[in-house]
Amino acid sequence: MPEPRRRRLEMRDVVHVYEGKTATRALDGVSLDVHDNEFLAIVGPVGSGKTTLVRIVAGFLRPTSGVVLCDGAPVTGPGPERGYVFQEEAIFPWMSVRDNLGFGLLAKGVVASEREKIVAELVRLIGLEGYEGAYPKELSGGMSKMVEVARVLATDPAILLLDEPFGLLDAQTRSKMQDQLSLLWEEKRKTVILVTHDVEEAIYLADRVVVFTPRPGRIKVEVTVDLPRPRSLETRFSPAFLALKRSIWKEIGRA
Amino acid sequence: MRLDDAARPPKARRVWLGLASVVALVAAYTLLSNAYRVVDPSLLPDPLRGLLRPQILPPTQRIVDAFVQLVGAGAPLAGGADLHPGDHIGGLVEQRVTLQGSLLVSTYRVLIGLAVGGSLGILAGLLMGWSRAVDEYVHPIYILFRSVPPLALITYVMLWLGHGTAHLLIPIIYAVFATVVIPTYHGVRDVADVYVKAARALGAGGRLLLSRVMLPAASPFVLAGLRYALVIAWMTTVGVEMLMGDDGVGYLLIGGGLWSSRLEVAGDPAVIVVGIVGLALVGYAMDVGVRVAGDRLTQWVKR
Amino acid sequence: MNGLWRRRLWRALLSLGVLAVLYGIASQIGSALLPRRIWMVAHYIEDVELLPPYASLLEEAVFLVKSGILPRSILVSTARVLEGLALGAAVGVPLGLSMARVARLEWLLDPWVTFFRFTPALALLPLYALWFGLGELSKILLIATAVAVVTLLGAYQGVRDVPRVYLEAAKSLGASDGLILRKIVWPAALPQILSSVRIALGLAWVTVVVAELIKATMPSLGYLLALAGAYPRVSTIAVGIVTIGVLVLACDAAALGLYAMATRWMKRSPADA
Repeated sequence: MPEPRRRRLEMRDVVHVYEGKTATRALDGVSLDVHDNEFLAIVGPVGSGKTTLVRIVAGFLRPTSGVVLCDGAPVTGPGPERGYVFQEEAIFPWMSVRDNLGFGLLAKGVVASEREKIVAELVRLIGLEGYEGAYPKELSGGMSKMVEVARVLATDPAILLLDEPFGLLDAQTRSKMQDQLSLLWEEKRKTVILVTHDVEEAIYLADRVVVFTPRPGRIKVEVTVDLPRPRSLETRFSPAFLALKRSIWKEIGRA
Repeated sequence: MRLDDAARPPKARRVWLGLASVVALVAAYTLLSNAYRVVDPSLLPDPLRGLLRPQILPPTQRIVDAFVQLVGAGAPLAGGADLHPGDHIGGLVEQRVTLQGSLLVSTYRVLIGLAVGGSLGILAGLLMGWSRAVDEYVHPIYILFRSVPPLALITYVMLWLGHGTAHLLIPIIYAVFATVVIPTYHGVRDVADVYVKAARALGAGGRLLLSRVMLPAASPFVLAGLRYALVIAWMTTVGVEMLMGDDGVGYLLIGGGLWSSRLEVAGDPAVIVVGIVGLALVGYAMDVGVRVAGDRLTQWVKR
Repeated sequence: MNGLWRRRLWRALLSLGVLAVLYGIASQIGSALLPRRIWMVAHYIEDVELLPPYASLLEEAVFLVKSGILPRSILVSTARVLEGLALGAAVGVPLGLSMARVARLEWLLDPWVTFFRFTPALALLPLYALWFGLGELSKILLIATAVAVVTLLGAYQGVRDVPRVYLEAAKSLGASDGLILRKIVWPAALPQILSSVRIALGLAWVTVVVAELIKATMPSLGYLLALAGAYPRVSTIAVGIVTIGVLVLACDAAALGLYAMATRWMKRSPADA
């Protein structure tokens, strides 16, 4: 790991209050740095504001106060340099797999021939050869999630924001997706923020895990995961892994 | 559509903007419809020459006068006969036709249509949704009948029933019936079905199943169907009254049956506008009524 | 699946066949029992067949087709419906789309949309006749008004119902507003727009039957019905009604086909009828 590492993303005292009949304080002064090529996971119970935070980083929400800097520039809105994968199904059902994967490139104005090349590469990467022309309704939940991840990677974003991407999948598919994501990350080494309520998923994938408190969300503790890579099924049962899992669960339980 | 919900401006501005657009358009119309006082219309170029006449675009104050007359609150309209050769208003006042009376008659027809056509339609929808056999035998016949515009039936109905009350009501009932069947059917077949199966597994059957499970589960769809049927019922009511009515708003608008007067329309535009505004208001009020009552009946629905 | 459809078809044919036979029997009984002289408001009319037997219906249909009255009426009325539909949708759909996208426009137009929503289009007929004359223009504008209101609401609701996640996904992939409109909003709203067009088409046929009574001239289904009703000749009325019914059915089937084609990407719920 190269030291000192460059800061990709800086969050300074981010506060978010949802207006409404009763104002809800979702985030209460979160400061967090994410380094280049780092895989950061945020875990916390429902309502701890972890999704709110990545939505602010993505530019979908504006913080009530505080600031988010991406490569030194303040975030003012969504953009392709911060790729976002949603918890819900966000694959465009009226587009073929090919058009879904190429959408970001189309938006960027990449010419058709170049687009085709990149899309073909992505299709190979996620192992969906033969499904290029298929509509998403023909894909399984795991497959269409993988298309969403690849769709975001197409434009080569600096940061990947994953908001409980596998939250709606069954346990087996989930663990398969985690392996696939892990491999993908080994290959691309993007800066990633993963939001999840699954502690095991966080440890398995991340270099560092940040635990949030229940509402209003604050950083409770940071845990560095120095498990060797590439990780595999064996990793999940290694004593180091289990020790990390135990300590994080303790932190959550002490809320 | 808004990405950022917090950026949504307050509701008050919405009301103001809506109000402003109504006031602005009414003001613009008032200016336009009174232009003939300033400019001699015969000097204008062709499409304007025809339009900018009080007989065609009634000035706003004349519409207000017509309203007052038709509510029966004013003295006879000065110059009514001058402005409109047929003296539509005079004729109506003489026959003691009032706006509220006409609206009441039409509302009554709409309500009968909803009550009779609605119950028959809900019943048919329930049966078709409930039993696959009924569905498979009856659905084709339903589609056949649904395809006939109700207003096309009116002369034939009149031959059977004579020129009375019923021949106006039949097309309205028919229209409501045809509208309500499908939403009820979908409500029962596609939505209530899961709950019906669950209730059966719990040992429910017969009347209990029908009244406590199937009807409530289908009711949001039935209510949506009734709301749409309300619009259709008004459309059909105005249609039959225009064609053959002796009373009601459709009659008020035309001033004599479209059918019997050999299809020459000679209504006074001021009367027509008053009638249309009355229709819109009553239609809106009834829709609000159905919606509020429906929301109460289906409080358990997540909104 | 195949057997299921075969049974459906079989039952449909059976019930329609039974209906046809029952009518045949009723018309035979009717010609013996039903009155042929009917009192109509001010006078008697003679030789009425309240339930015309198939023979008279066929004879009438052959006459109407051979004389060219029916084919020409079909062409004229269908053309009016389609012109009104095209014009109304061309106004209603873009307006509905922009109202859903631009809040200010929505607030400005909202009272007027509500007004037209609860004004039966037929009530505008006398006003249109006065403003736009007794010719073709008022008829088509009347149909167009009915269509515009329905398609406006369909397009508006269609856009409002586009799941937010698609818009956000497109935005974060760097799509411009134009691209979002073309590639996200439009295809996502299209099913609802087409559903509203289907409803509007039915409404257009209801409207044309009455609109064709303004200064009615012969080749038109509305006037054919009116004329047949004035005489009255039941067999002509019946042929007219059946013709309109078949046309409405055909239009509906076409609209449904278009809908199915445009929504091939959707996950299907159990067959819609």
